[in-house]
Amino acid sequence: EKWAATHPKLPPTRLAVHHFDATYSTQLGQLWPSVRLAMLSERKYGALLNNFSHNVALTELKAQGCVDFISEREKDVPSCLEEKSEEPSDVSMKSSDADGEQLSLSPNIKCLVFPRGDVTRFKPARPDKNGLLGYYLMDAASLLPCLALDVQEGHSVLDLCGAPGGKTLALLQTQAIRFLCINDSSVSRTLRLRKVLHSYVPKHFLTNENLRITSFDGTKWGEIESNTFDRVLVDVPCTTDRHSLMEDDNNIFSKNRTGERRRLPQLQLELLLAGIQAACPGGEILYSTCTLSQNQNLSVVEQAIYQAREKDGIHLQVVDLKPLMRMFGNTFHFAPDLHLGEMVIPHLVANFGPIYMCKLKRLT
Amino acid sequence: SFTNQATQHSQDLNPPSGITELSLRSFIDMGFTESQAEQIYESLANVRKGDSAKHILPTLTALFVLGLNPSSVKKCLEKCPELYTIKEAQLQQRISNLRKIGLVEGSLQRMVAHYPRILTVPSKRVKNVVMFLKEKCLFTSQQVTDIIRDCPAVVLENLDQLEYKFQYVYFRMGVKQAEMVKCRLFRYSLDEIRCRHTFLERRGFYETPDKKGQTTIINPNLDSVLNVDQDTFLAHVAQTSAEEYDVFKRLAAREWQEGELQQGRTEPD
Ligand SMILES: C[S@@+](CC[C@H](N)C(=O)[O-])C[C@H]1O[C@@H](n2cnc3c(N)ncnc32)[C@H](O)[C@@H]1O
Repeated sequence: EKWAATHPKLPPTRLAVHHFDATYSTQLGQLWPSVRLAMLSERKYGALLNNFSHNVALTELKAQGCVDFISEREKDVPSCLEEKSEEPSDVSMKSSDADGEQLSLSPNIKCLVFPRGDVTRFKPARPDKNGLLGYYLMDAASLLPCLALDVQEGHSVLDLCGAPGGKTLALLQTQAIRFLCINDSSVSRTLRLRKVLHSYVPKHFLTNENLRITSFDGTKWGEIESNTFDRVLVDVPCTTDRHSLMEDDNNIFSKNRTGERRRLPQLQLELLLAGIQAACPGGEILYSTCTLSQNQNLSVVEQAIYQAREKDGIHLQVVDLKPLMRMFGNTFHFAPDLHLGEMVIPHLVANFGPIYMCKLKRLT
Repeated sequence: SFTNQATQHSQDLNPPSGITELSLRSFIDMGFTESQAEQIYESLANVRKGDSAKHILPTLTALFVLGLNPSSVKKCLEKCPELYTIKEAQLQQRISNLRKIGLVEGSLQRMVAHYPRILTVPSKRVKNVVMFLKEKCLFTSQQVTDIIRDCPAVVLENLDQLEYKFQYVYFRMGVKQAEMVKCRLFRYSLDEIRCRHTFLERRGFYETPDKKGQTTIINPNLDSVLNVDQDTFLAHVAQTSAEEYDVFKRLAAREWQEGELQQGRTEPD
């Protein structure tokens, strides 16, 4: 910050680069230059297929060279998963990894990507006769938290920071959720979320019986509704590293947002703790960010595990996501040797991420 | 029409009376080997313009006077058949202009051998480029001489693009004139320069100096960025794989192509 003080006119994107150079070069070592290059270059998207749309985008996208990275993995692909029809099914497939660990993936979440090194862009999705769009473009790595959340038939799910709704949409594709509660403290962003849902999901899926959209401060959730949800997604606000490097508008590294930026880890901790409280005993919580920052990732989770036990008497178990990482090692680059959670790190040949995720299971 | 074509054709096959002295023999007398002489004789017949053949003798003489040997003279003609059609006076004026710029015998000879096309460029054009390099880019006279000697093709570049390239390297890369001359900057296209530079910059290995000319890292020198093949560049300077660089080149080409419309030139700040 001292450096910045002597250069008052430095744009926030520059401040972000300096900040990241200082912190990530030590954190990522040899990997940092490639991650830096990737984050400063055009990112890749994935097309989350919308099972509710009549536009069968799948064949069209495949003809352009895309592959569904979830079902078309190079090894360990159960044949039944590949043969599955377009029709959404409500059974989850169990697929085992090399170590025999169980990991279930919803067969209804399909995401198409252009292969490694291919920089072709997607065309905007088109609406079908009911106005529903065929796919949603998002960072393909953002689907990993949704897959890792492992939603099962009949679950009640809380999406604590849900807007603008990419992950919500992926969760809805499973068609397994009994009740979905989507929250985001920003009213304008919840409006965007509503718009997204209406462009992708038929009205009869969006009734009060299956879905609730709220705009509360998520940190207070434990006081509102505790010990309730089978699954909780805590996709917190963070330094959004990619955005901070590329866009000066609305940049968290701008001078007047320094305080807000410094308070992020505390806010993230409170949100995660609230999510933990909102989950039922036996329920699972998935914490995710789109930053590489240790302070916003591992440290937050460590603190939350500690405080949940000390303050709320909630015991948590960290769920190993290595199986997931092994399944998708061909599509994404993962940070090696993280002692808590997993992280997709950007690389030019597979320019997705950054996405950090850590899964916790409530034991009590 | 058919008649015209026929006349033209017969002219090519039978050189007009004025140049009958250009026999095979005369080329051999100049020092060409028999096969060299035959090839020159043939290519002369292929030159379209009817009156071109009369310029060949003074051109050959001029090239010999510059100190080129028969085989390099023949190579020059092959590389640049336009030489067959230059008028003697023009040729002499261009050579003397190049001498005025400071290209003395040895270097003039090497430059012509390497880039005979320089003799087809009007003196006025060369003078303009020299002025441009001195006034817009602040190269010294000696540096300009070196640039023309080492990168003669610079005289045919579009001056706006040349200015952009210079400003890019001067302001964005923070490289001074002396280093540009030393590493023969003008041999490289803007795209080549900018591709390697941006790649390094995004990897965190290159920084634009601030107003005091300072950087927080030590930039690699221009020579090690440009004057090496791609493998060496990747291994020693960029420290990464060709796979990554290949993707980058494709992305960068698209970025620049799309940015070209809005973006002006780099503003010095
Ligand atoms: C990373 S974004 C969520 C992205 C979303 N899950 C998706 O996939 O589209 C973080 C969100 O947290 C919201 N947020 C910030 N502070 C919050 C709080 N105290 N409570 C609830 N949401 C909050 C922001 O408005 C922002 O929309």
